[in-house]
Amino acid sequence: MRSLLSVLLVVFVAVVSAISTTGDRLLVILEDVADKASYSTFLGDLESRGFKIAFETPKSESLSLFHLGERAYDHVIFFPTKSKGLGPNLTPQILLQFINAKGNILLTLSSGTVAPTSFVSLLAELDIQLPVDRTGLVVDHFSYDSASAADLHDVLLLPAPENLRRDVKNFFGAAESDDEVIAFPRGVGAALGSGELLTPILRAPRTAYSYNPKEQAEVVDDLFGAGEQLALVSAFQGRNSARFTLVGSAEMLQDKWFDAKVKAVGGKSATVQTFNRKFAKQVSGWTFQEIGVVRVNWIEHHLNEAGASNESNPAIYRIKNDVAYTISLSEWSWSSWTAFKVPANDELQLEFSMLSPLHRLHLKLDPAQSSPEAAAYTVSFKAPDQHGIFNFKVNYKRPFLTNVEEKNTVSVRHMAHDEWPRSFVISGAWPWIAGIGATVTGWVAFCGLWMYSASPDKKLAIKKTQ
Amino acid sequence: MSANSVQVLANAGKGESTRTLLRVIILLLIAGAAIASRLFSVIRFESIIHEFDPWFNFRATRYLVAHGFYKFWDWFDDRTWHPLGRVTGGTLYPGLMVTSGAIYHALRALTIPVDIRNICVLLAPAFSGLTAYAAYLLTNEMTPSPSAGLLAAAFMGIAPGYISRSVAGSYDNEAIAIFLLVFTFYLWIKALKQGSMLWGALCALFYGYMVASWGGYAFITCLLPLHAFVLICMGRYSTRLYVSYTTWYALGTLASMQIPFVGFLPVKTSEHMPALGIFGFLQLLAFLDYVRSAIPSRQYQTFLWLFASGTFGLGLLVLVVATSAGVIAPWSGRFYSLWDTGYAKIHIPIIASVSEHQPTAWPAFFFDLNMLIWLFPAGVYLCFQQLADEHVFIVVYALFGSYFAGVMVRLMLTLTPVVCVAAAIAISNVLDTYLDARSPNPEDHQVDDVSDGTAKKAAKSGLKSTSKPVVGVYSTVSKSIVATAMTAYLLLFVLHCTWVTSNAYSSPSVVLASRLPDGSQHIIDDYREAYQWLRQNTREDAKIMSWWDYGYQIGGMADRPTLVDNNTWNNTHIATVGKAMSSREEVSYPIMRQHEVDYVLVVFGGLLGYSGDDINKFLWMVRIAEGIWPDEVKEREFFTPRGEYKVDADATETMKNSLMYKMSYYNYQSLFPPGQAQDRVRGVRLPDVGPTLNVLDEAFTSENWIIRIYKVKDLDNLGRDHASAAAFERGHKKKKANKKRVARLLRVD
Repeated sequence: MRSLLSVLLVVFVAVVSAISTTGDRLLVILEDVADKASYSTFLGDLESRGFKIAFETPKSESLSLFHLGERAYDHVIFFPTKSKGLGPNLTPQILLQFINAKGNILLTLSSGTVAPTSFVSLLAELDIQLPVDRTGLVVDHFSYDSASAADLHDVLLLPAPENLRRDVKNFFGAAESDDEVIAFPRGVGAALGSGELLTPILRAPRTAYSYNPKEQAEVVDDLFGAGEQLALVSAFQGRNSARFTLVGSAEMLQDKWFDAKVKAVGGKSATVQTFNRKFAKQVSGWTFQEIGVVRVNWIEHHLNEAGASNESNPAIYRIKNDVAYTISLSEWSWSSWTAFKVPANDELQLEFSMLSPLHRLHLKLDPAQSSPEAAAYTVSFKAPDQHGIFNFKVNYKRPFLTNVEEKNTVSVRHMAHDEWPRSFVISGAWPWIAGIGATVTGWVAFCGLWMYSASPDKKLAIKKTQ
Repeated sequence: MSANSVQVLANAGKGESTRTLLRVIILLLIAGAAIASRLFSVIRFESIIHEFDPWFNFRATRYLVAHGFYKFWDWFDDRTWHPLGRVTGGTLYPGLMVTSGAIYHALRALTIPVDIRNICVLLAPAFSGLTAYAAYLLTNEMTPSPSAGLLAAAFMGIAPGYISRSVAGSYDNEAIAIFLLVFTFYLWIKALKQGSMLWGALCALFYGYMVASWGGYAFITCLLPLHAFVLICMGRYSTRLYVSYTTWYALGTLASMQIPFVGFLPVKTSEHMPALGIFGFLQLLAFLDYVRSAIPSRQYQTFLWLFASGTFGLGLLVLVVATSAGVIAPWSGRFYSLWDTGYAKIHIPIIASVSEHQPTAWPAFFFDLNMLIWLFPAGVYLCFQQLADEHVFIVVYALFGSYFAGVMVRLMLTLTPVVCVAAAIAISNVLDTYLDARSPNPEDHQVDDVSDGTAKKAAKSGLKSTSKPVVGVYSTVSKSIVATAMTAYLLLFVLHCTWVTSNAYSSPSVVLASRLPDGSQHIIDDYREAYQWLRQNTREDAKIMSWWDYGYQIGGMADRPTLVDNNTWNNTHIATVGKAMSSREEVSYPIMRQHEVDYVLVVFGGLLGYSGDDINKFLWMVRIAEGIWPDEVKEREFFTPRGEYKVDADATETMKNSLMYKMSYYNYQSLFPPGQAQDRVRGVRLPDVGPTLNVLDEAFTSENWIIRIYKVKDLDNLGRDHASAAAFERGHKKKKANKKRVARLLRVD
């Protein structure tokens, strides 16, 4: 019954929102609305995935991310603008408020324009650092496109990103062949702080570095960053799972680089079609919550003991009870909910904690309760011998996946006065029980003897008087 | 005519049944007076539960009435001591709640639907009437004078020392425990006098009830053996003593062990060992008594010495070994603090921090007992004159009661009954002597003296005055002077008692009353305002962190889970709260997160001049936290270099950065014109710039700023620390790391 309901729910939800799990209102901010022509393929792809796109310029009077305290848009794309500031409608506070309200932002930079101060201070809050002069150029003298940037070496050719860690699902990258190439023309590299909410999607190759072509044309003395410390495309996911992506090169999303043929320096083949279009889809899809969205369908825990009531989610357990816990998870993948599969090298864990975890257990996939739309993970265990207020806690936070932080509070009570084993069951108590029995019978026997035995003195006395 | 009517009245008072009727009427009137004088607070405020502990008792009673006895017995309370919870059913004295529950159900059965709250509010006054009756019975056992008992009942009914804990609304264990205490003593005396197993068993029954009601039962557990021991030492061992004591001990101990909170304590802890020891000693004496009747006295002497010393030595050895091996728990800290009043302050700050555990100030004796305190020694002296077994009891009780009352304010309560009894004996003695209308014929006396003069002299004490012929007492003048003086004293006593009750003991302390300049009463209701706010505006499982004083009230009035409360069973947990209050925000925040705190409640009296606020209690929080984390919290750092405890501009950095200080004075400056901010409790001017709070949001401040509630912020959505997040909100720009010329930390994935 429950699984049927959840299936119905899944179907219902899938029909209602066909693209992103958070909404389809997309705002694109450009210097000039006419500029959108150069991004027509990218925007067309987004539109074909169901987004309703609105265009604005930063200085527009009508631009407002909020309407009556609610978000007016679900997602925002910023293309590079020339102005130094962004005006009163896009202060860093408002942008931060937008993220806190679960809005997603895709921010693009370009080495040709100086990043507005508004973005710089927003990025500083996210612990992302741009080069000192708010612009920079990433070059690599070993892997550039010899067709278009033979002199400046500023069009980097990069392999599609590999898996970040062994236990993380890879959302970005080529599925089939390994020799896909991403062109990263005239982009800005950023340095990421070490916070766990930040993840690089695309890192610069080991031989790349960033410099300022205007001030450091002759000699590069003070290097902002080099090698893999330069993040070209980086992702930030807030605790509320709002996503923010920084793309160092806006140009890579333009039509000309979607179709471009590039030639790696010293490459074996002649020219290769860039991977940019697919990569743009992956990056925008991830940012706008079309992939990597994990949903908790239901959580159920119950007493797992023979003869006990089968009540779901009771508020109270007893110490040393056997308890079963199940959580059902789905993952949104472009257009439908699918069963969430934990990566092979990873574990979904349940903590049973009071102040600190008293149990940390591996949740196993339960095929009986799973369906193509939802996967159920379950574990059963014995409650600790400690009463208190405990939490069933699933805290599954991985890069690129929305945060799963579920806390269900239950009380674990002590043994009630009639739940202990009776004294005659405990063998150690037998001597004492025997002692009590002996005392009782002895007492009764003594009383009987006392009452029914005639006093010898009396008899004697009677005899004497006689 | 008037002489005739007096005659008629006098004659009417002589019949036995008339006297009984009169006594019943007088006792009923005394009970009525006792109840009525405890109703000040109900009339002035409303039918409300007072103070702190009564709120827990009230909550527990409601639980009992709602869920039944067995649920109550096994009650696991998950709304206090979050997240540890409290095994409440096993850690309370259920007598009070069960009594109210029984009354509630009895009234229901009689189809009188009374709200459980009203039963709880009026339970203490009702039982004070019974206490007066018990005092009457006890005193009657001491003296043949019929008036002494009635006087004792009257004293007991209105003595402030007892009223202090039993006004309407003071729904605490003491409400019924004092009645049980006096009544158990009465039954003990009765059993001892008659050597009756029946009375001994009744005594044990009420002792069991007492154990179920109040932790002070240990007073009985120690006093009865002591009485028995003193009797034995006086050479008054008798089968009466044997029968009554053994009956009481065996049945009483079994009864007391039925209470889960007491459990095996009667055979494990040192406090209960005297009772057990005397029990064993009595068995030995009985055995020796038997032996003496069986063998010649010469051999008996030797046998006695060998046997007695051997047993004593053996017993002592067993006790020492058992204590050091840990079988018998050593004396608890609370017990030590009864001997050395400075002990608690050094070793157990949590006990010392309670004001009612402080040593009594001398004026308190007069305040609580008025003229009884100087009649008390006279009564004890009169007991010495007769010195039967029961008088020895009064003497022993008087000695120990006085000592303990001197050590702890709260134990004034156990002294009051014996003071009432002794004073009643003294007064009745005076009145009996001086109000006797007849003038005895001196010659009769003379003849009497001569007839058995030698015997009397031997029996009489060595005081010379007693052997002289009595002069002056018979004159009408002296009689009327003494009678008038006594009447005046008694009237003054009633006045004093009423005044004390009305002014000192009838404040609910939940509601504060003050006078406006025009003399009208002004009610300050901040506590209930704040608790109501919590009840209406927070989630039902929102955890409230406050100092433990307010735990019971939050649980009872706001119905929200608390971290610590007045049942101070877990010192570490209290110290954790103390540490959170006395540390910097960055230290406190992880503690609050770990304990899932949603709101923090502080009491601040600075605006109103309410001196019982948290800043004044703050040093106790620091001390208790320092007991557990001596490296992290240091009391010294809260004092200025000159050793002063300051909250103004001279306050130390540790003080200014502590969460408690910040919560108390947050935004307080905005009430005043610049530079005029003033703390009216400490009487100091505060610095112009108030503290900033980063991890908390102000959620509520009551009308007079007495209660301030703060909401604990969630973790920052972007993973920043709260200080920089708050700085960003205020519009400060983040300092660029590059400008500092510090090597950037490389990111490792």
